[in-house]
Amino acid sequence: MRIRYLLPWLLLLFVAGLAGCRSAVQITAEVVAVPAAGIPERPDDSAWNSAPEHAAKLLLQDLVEPRLMQASTAEVRVRAITSGQEIAFRLEWMDATKNDLPGPAHFMDACAVQIPVVIDANAPDPQMGQQGKPVEIAFWRADWQASVDGRPDSIKEIYPNASIDHYPFEARSLEKGSVEQREMAARYAPARALGNRRAGPREAPVEDMVAEGPGTLAPAASATSKGRGVKTANGWSVVIVRRLPAGFSPGVRTQTAFAVWEGSHNEVGARKMRTGWIPLLMRGQE
Amino acid sequence: MARVYNWQLGRQMSYWYPESRPQRQFAAVFDTNKCIACQTCTLACKTTWTSGVGQEYMLWNNVETKPYGFYPLGWDLKLLDMLEGQKWSEREYEGQKINHYDGSTIFESAPAGERVLGWRPEDQDYSYPNVGEDDCAGQVDGGASFSMEHMAWFFYLARICNHCTYPACLSSCPRGSIYKRPEDGIVLVDQGRCRGYQECVKACPYKKVFFNPMTGTSEKCIACFPKIESGLQPQCFVNCIGKIRLAGWISTPDKARPDNPIDYLVHIRKIALPLFPQFGLEPNVYYIPPVHVPQSFTRQMFGPGVAEAVSAYRNAANDPDLAGLLSLFGSTEMMVPRWKRQGEQVVGMNEGGEILRVPLTEPVHIRPAYDRLYQISRTNCP
Repeated sequence: MRIRYLLPWLLLLFVAGLAGCRSAVQITAEVVAVPAAGIPERPDDSAWNSAPEHAAKLLLQDLVEPRLMQASTAEVRVRAITSGQEIAFRLEWMDATKNDLPGPAHFMDACAVQIPVVIDANAPDPQMGQQGKPVEIAFWRADWQASVDGRPDSIKEIYPNASIDHYPFEARSLEKGSVEQREMAARYAPARALGNRRAGPREAPVEDMVAEGPGTLAPAASATSKGRGVKTANGWSVVIVRRLPAGFSPGVRTQTAFAVWEGSHNEVGARKMRTGWIPLLMRGQE
Repeated sequence: MARVYNWQLGRQMSYWYPESRPQRQFAAVFDTNKCIACQTCTLACKTTWTSGVGQEYMLWNNVETKPYGFYPLGWDLKLLDMLEGQKWSEREYEGQKINHYDGSTIFESAPAGERVLGWRPEDQDYSYPNVGEDDCAGQVDGGASFSMEHMAWFFYLARICNHCTYPACLSSCPRGSIYKRPEDGIVLVDQGRCRGYQECVKACPYKKVFFNPMTGTSEKCIACFPKIESGLQPQCFVNCIGKIRLAGWISTPDKARPDNPIDYLVHIRKIALPLFPQFGLEPNVYYIPPVHVPQSFTRQMFGPGVAEAVSAYRNAANDPDLAGLLSLFGSTEMMVPRWKRQGEQVVGMNEGGEILRVPLTEPVHIRPAYDRLYQISRTNCP
């Protein structure tokens, strides 16, 4: 009988406890980068607990063709930490499926961070910038993460039952790993032969790019960003680390935008969920 | 969307970019009546271009058995189902009768948010090329035997990229990674710029762009452009056992030249027809339709000119010009931009002059069954 009287109180204490846990996460209306001695490159690093969280609502990319017509991922939760030379973003979103195997009609889970090249009160268009007002984009993709995590660069990883008679670059006359053999292999992989950075195999799961409007996305002059993404029980937790934007210092505000691609929803390229510009502030040294 | 003129439809149509025709347009004529589906063309292409990792399933050239063969599965049927009202009518234009397409193209039928009406094959759709497709349409009853009339039918359809005047792949790419070469109209994917969005795979109604999962980019038939640049026909043309193919250059109908082999077959004699012209791409591989197939089928596939084409082709034996030009097919590796008939011979020419001479009728030697000299009967047995 006594337990029946205690139940409402226990429930109240439980709810209060939950609220207490939640209040430990500081929620901010803008993305606030917290200074730290080092950059936490793992998404589950406890250092992320020190950074406030911004929950960014995601919108359909429905301005330029090809558009995304049906909404998928609702929001992305973002935290940021800076070392003074680099800035790291941790993006987390809900996703029930892991899409990291490429193929015809297979699309990859991915996310991106966008920042204007120049800090200016008059920001570029939030959709990939505009002519004369470029944006920098750091793009993470799940299949690149799998590749960096050790998945071999082989068709058998995608189609385990594939049976291949022969590749020309595996001819007996070519010594394995020799320059001649690699040249022969490149001849049958034109994108790799041309140095297309997307054509893998990749050493980092993040790609650096610049854009001046939709359709203008191009590789950045140098590729310095890195990152790490981990599939959690109900979504992705991805850290993207890039160099600090030029002129970004304590107390300075610039803009940032995020995009998320849900592979199982055939999202790729312009078909994505994205945010508008969100103010990005570096908190002063405490 | 811009307004462009598509002569295969006899009308203007909507397209993503304004009309911009190349200085000359690569084109080809395939004679379906001569194809034996030996797949030598497929292998010639495969060994030349797509032996790499990630290219295993790619057939830039394929031969499928119609009506039940597809690569990828159902490539044509799926789009035909999606595209409504494919009606043609006959109209008068500048004193001439032309076929006018009254229906809607895949550009004009693009749903909201899309540039093109299309669909994207799954990887399973590429899994079984040529498996179980060599069945003829219709039931063959017990006790039936072959006679001169076909009781049931099938035919072989050899396919490459059509290097379309209005490519759907090119118009669908949000990055402009696909381009049409101004010097020869060949459509290529820039492998340095492509980011593998597969919009082109979805948009191409002929499904002749393939995604390479290992490089993350899309790849397609390049019309063997290094050979074209050297004045040679592509690999799938020169390796064809049945000599069904001829490569060349096509003019617009108003500039058609009788001494241009492709112009003569397409524009002047009208025996070679585009594949699914109603899609609206102005494809540049032209087919001499199979003569024995019900025209209710071939008319949907090759447009309203089928009856006229079949009739002219059936009469080729009495038509020395037509028979002569058809005998140029597969007779040389070189491109043959000009031709003429001189009596019983057909002459192929290029900018440098005559390149080959083919007799209209091959000499025939009959060896009697009984050899009088040796007083012995010959048999076919070894």
